[in-house]
Amino acid sequence: MEINEYIESGVLEAYVLGSASEAEVRELLYLKGKFPQIQEALSELECDMENVAQHLAIIPPSDIWMKIEAGIKEVMDKSDADALIVRNPSKENRSHYKRPKNNLFIDVESTSSHMQIHKIWRWVFGAVFLLGKIFLACAIYFYFENRSLQKEMEQLEIKFIQQKAR
Amino acid sequence: MLKINRQELTVNKPESVRCLYDKYGGMLLGYIYEIVRDRKLAEEYLVQVFCDLSKQINEMDWKDTNSWCQLQSFARNKITSLTTAEPVDITIRADKVVHNFRNRYLEQMTALQKQVFYRVYYYGRSIAAISVELNETDDVIRKTLKEAFAIMKKSGGN
Repeated sequence: MEINEYIESGVLEAYVLGSASEAEVRELLYLKGKFPQIQEALSELECDMENVAQHLAIIPPSDIWMKIEAGIKEVMDKSDADALIVRNPSKENRSHYKRPKNNLFIDVESTSSHMQIHKIWRWVFGAVFLLGKIFLACAIYFYFENRSLQKEMEQLEIKFIQQKAR
Repeated sequence: MLKINRQELTVNKPESVRCLYDKYGGMLLGYIYEIVRDRKLAEEYLVQVFCDLSKQINEMDWKDTNSWCQLQSFARNKITSLTTAEPVDITIRADKVVHNFRNRYLEQMTALQKQVFYRVYYYGRSIAAISVELNETDDVIRKTLKEAFAIMKKSGGN
């Protein structure tokens, strides 16, 4: 088959659009390596496809990327959580497992210097901090109150002694 | 043609997806819209396509194939899995398509060219499947596809 005839047959379009059969794809990949004209025609076709798609483009609304980002974050969080799932060994597998005699403990110390806690602790820590501030304010207030009362008492005592002396 | 740095696609997921979105988001939305003919649904599918892409971005071959063609093929597979498109539905859709300034190339196509183009470009049907659906030989379908693509390229893209 002539190469130009092959290029004009529509096989390249079918290949680029993913509609070619396996045999056609195999043949095209073989010919692509052998004839640079096919590689050239394919690259041109890919450029054309991109140009056509650019012509049909619709500008997405500004919030679309935020939705995509949130979706990706969810996907990544899920895959992280899946990686942390510990599978319980079945009874059969458990019976086959032999604990090493000299190694009674499993080293579970994490290499990370950070720890993760539940979000609710944020509120608990906030409440503890607030209560601490309130108690501190109360302590300062009662300390000064007590000091002023003591001074008053001392003055009264002096007055009482002075009156007694007269 | 838009150029994309190959390394950008395999480094960090959100950044590489963002890079693809910036370059091809509008093109992909336009492509999806032509399939579903519903703006809201097209936007929903666009979000889903990019979210799914983030899972498979490192497994895809970005070296040998044009990024847009890869992305288009990925989106087509995703959307055909989400929507059920029977041959009869596609025939009706291709026939009843409303011509506008964006798809004026369809006006210049014959009924067969339109059917073949629609089936391949938007629904990823194989040549063999289309030849059965339209009762034509594989060679005729391939030739028709080439002609349809030439019309599209002539009137729209270039």
